[in-house]
Amino acid sequence: MGELFRDTYRYRELIWALALKELRVRYKRSVLGFLWALLNPALLMVVLTLVFGTIMRFSIDHYAVFLLSMLLPWTFFSQSLAYSVESIVGNGDLLKKVRVARLVFPVAAVVSNIINFLLSLLPLMLLIVLMRFPLHWTWLYLPIPMVGLFLFTTGAAFFFATINVFYRDVSHIVQILLSAWFYFSPVIYSLDFVPAKYRWAFQLNPMVYVLNGFRLGIYYGMLPSPQSVVMSVACGVIALLMGFAVFRRYQNSFVYYV
Amino acid sequence: MAEGQSSVQFDDVVQSFRVIRERPDTLREFFAKLARRQVAYHDFEALKHVSFRVSKGEMVGIIGRNGSGKSTILKIVAGVYTPTSGRALVNGSIAPLIELGAGFHHELTGRENILVNGLLLGLSKKEVLEREERIIEFAELGDFIDSPVKQYSSGMYMRLAFAVAAEVEPDILIIDEILGVGDAGFRQKCFERILKFKASGKTILFVSHDTATVRQFCDHVLLMNNGELIEDGAPDYVIACYEELLGQVTPSTSS
Repeated sequence: MGELFRDTYRYRELIWALALKELRVRYKRSVLGFLWALLNPALLMVVLTLVFGTIMRFSIDHYAVFLLSMLLPWTFFSQSLAYSVESIVGNGDLLKKVRVARLVFPVAAVVSNIINFLLSLLPLMLLIVLMRFPLHWTWLYLPIPMVGLFLFTTGAAFFFATINVFYRDVSHIVQILLSAWFYFSPVIYSLDFVPAKYRWAFQLNPMVYVLNGFRLGIYYGMLPSPQSVVMSVACGVIALLMGFAVFRRYQNSFVYYV
Repeated sequence: MAEGQSSVQFDDVVQSFRVIRERPDTLREFFAKLARRQVAYHDFEALKHVSFRVSKGEMVGIIGRNGSGKSTILKIVAGVYTPTSGRALVNGSIAPLIELGAGFHHELTGRENILVNGLLLGLSKKEVLEREERIIEFAELGDFIDSPVKQYSSGMYMRLAFAVAAEVEPDILIIDEILGVGDAGFRQKCFERILKFKASGKTILFVSHDTATVRQFCDHVLLMNNGELIEDGAPDYVIACYEELLGQVTPSTSS
């Protein structure tokens, strides 16, 4: 674990450069460039607001805000995994050439998505103001659930990046896993909708705890209970410990398999 | 800076690779084969008990036929491979001139690639920026530096990659058969650069099939054959052995 923090700090400039490189490449050759990082979520939000505000009306007030408060962190999670699962294999040529701390690649993939995620919160704020929905002061609390979310995502990124080196099926499995996971997480619905007899099963899903604080802060304007905060950070720390342990165990073999 | 201080030392280094015959690339294949007990491994020794020593400031050539283990030695020195057994000691920082430009991204400009590549080779951002002008000048790229590298000719690409690696100013430079690229003028410039490097007391490991160059520049030469170090000595002598080896018509397929 010490290795993780030491190397992340030591290679911070490289990680940052790789993360920016990823974003640059993503928006390269588009006229609007980096603006897409803002426009993309903004347009999605407009569509969701129209659909759920006029066509499909749910019993949930301001459903678009309800949905987006969790959809944005979820999108961050799924995109980070989609990028990081390929991060070691995709940099195989490089690993065969220079000795570089291998953890920079999955970490950079997550960092580039953190930048994207933080940018996507700006159009959400704008939307909330335009919809005359209250911009709760509890937004200020969001950095706490972000810690849980970022740690959890990084742990998962390490894990999937590692096993994808040995079995390339994993990148496909991750896609399917993510869409199944999405519907089994209370993103488009609320945990209250789940029949009581199944609720225990949902409580085994770590994303429930990791995402919880976002909806409370953005939509309900409430602070989570201390237990809930502990659970979200604990899920993040455990995922990171496990993911990095797997990564560390196999990282010296990567070069022979990429 | 004591004379004879070793820069690279290999003691009985073995590097073996587990070669899986028809390596299953997917889980399905793997389970299918496991069920039929067909996951056949065999260990291939790319280096067999290799020992040698390179003193600080020496330029050492490594010659041998394709697949004899030359590049494996360089990759161990670069820290990319970990020896299966034996000891490989490397004193000092390393810049690899192997597969130049492996870290370049085609969509990024030359300047953006200089930063990423420089950081990958272990420089800090400040150090890269300090060297940026010299790198651009050496690579003779002019205005192209702010164009995406996918628009570069292969010569420009190589020049930029060489310029970045050369500016890292490592203690040990490892060069793998790269000087076949670029026009005569640039090749000359690369050699001058390498010699300047050598003159400043840095160590150079040089893999090449070009025996004339090896004879001209190297202090001593290692001859590899089928993963074994068969000669280690003065360039003239070792190159003569190599030529004799090449002359033997019987290819060693017995092992």
